[in-house]
Amino acid sequence: MSDSNQTQRRIEDYLARVRKGLRILSDETARDIVAELRSHIVEKAEVDGEMLSARVDAALASLGPPGVLARQYVTDDALARAEVSRAPWTILGGVFHWATLSATGFLTLLICAIGYMFGAAFLIAALVKPFNPRAGLWLMNDGSYSLALGFTDAAVRGRELLGWLLIPIGFSVGGGAILLTTQFALWSIRRFRQAQRIRRSPGSAR
Amino acid sequence: MARKEFPPSEPGEKWEVQLRKGSLELAILASLWGEKLYGLEILRRLESDSDLVISEGTVYPLLSRLKALGLLQSEWVESDGGHPRKYYGLTALGRQRAGEMARFWARFSASLNKLLVPLGKGK
Repeated sequence: MSDSNQTQRRIEDYLARVRKGLRILSDETARDIVAELRSHIVEKAEVDGEMLSARVDAALASLGPPGVLARQYVTDDALARAEVSRAPWTILGGVFHWATLSATGFLTLLICAIGYMFGAAFLIAALVKPFNPRAGLWLMNDGSYSLALGFTDAAVRGRELLGWLLIPIGFSVGGGAILLTTQFALWSIRRFRQAQRIRRSPGSAR
Repeated sequence: MARKEFPPSEPGEKWEVQLRKGSLELAILASLWGEKLYGLEILRRLESDSDLVISEGTVYPLLSRLKALGLLQSEWVESDGGHPRKYYGLTALGRQRAGEMARFWARFSASLNKLLVPLGKGK
């Protein structure tokens, strides 16, 4: 295999590995990213229309390991989605992408899912209360608590604690949990990106 | 009483990195204020016109994010060398955001400089 072919193969291998890390982004976005990186590498490596092997190596080294580069794209994409729309499903979608790439992302997704479910349970209970007075926070006979919506007879075997106060409390606690979860998700993604940039910035080595 | 020893230069380095990182978005938006540039040109502009030396693996994801936020727009243009280049430019929202960030930066650095005057005069 000629030097030129080998050089080209190294570039394509690198880009294929980046592309693999971007699989959770849309096909169009991933193709656009890979095309931009290819253009960057070619421009840095080419001298008088010929690609120099040493310059290709230097260009790939400057971009960093393909997996890390792809992770930065994915977390930046997640953060951009979350910053454009603070809707819980958008945030969860972004964090879900991140979770497929790292343990930190998975843990964040778990905490966010619990936070949103907790918030949604209180909001739904507060919304249902005017139509079904049996909805409420029930202290069951076995000593456990249940946020019942009142559509089953399970709540009968206990005592309802909040009465109509469920409506303001449900909206406050539910809304608060959703807001806090959103803030936590944004903080986590930003912190992760920040840590990656600090590790990767050449300025930090100077 | 024993004096607390700090690891040499570490806190200073971290602070410098944080400062560079924090100003990166403003620097990129500012570099595109007057014209459209492609990734490598942006990197070169930042290196020549500021003290920001940025990893290439950092700037491309950041450009992608600024675009997703609606601050930048991009278009592919065929170069003389035969390969296409992705040019970035500011959107109206990007210009507005860059202006706001620049005004804040000017106010902040001016007030901090006042505080720093005695340090420049030595001990």
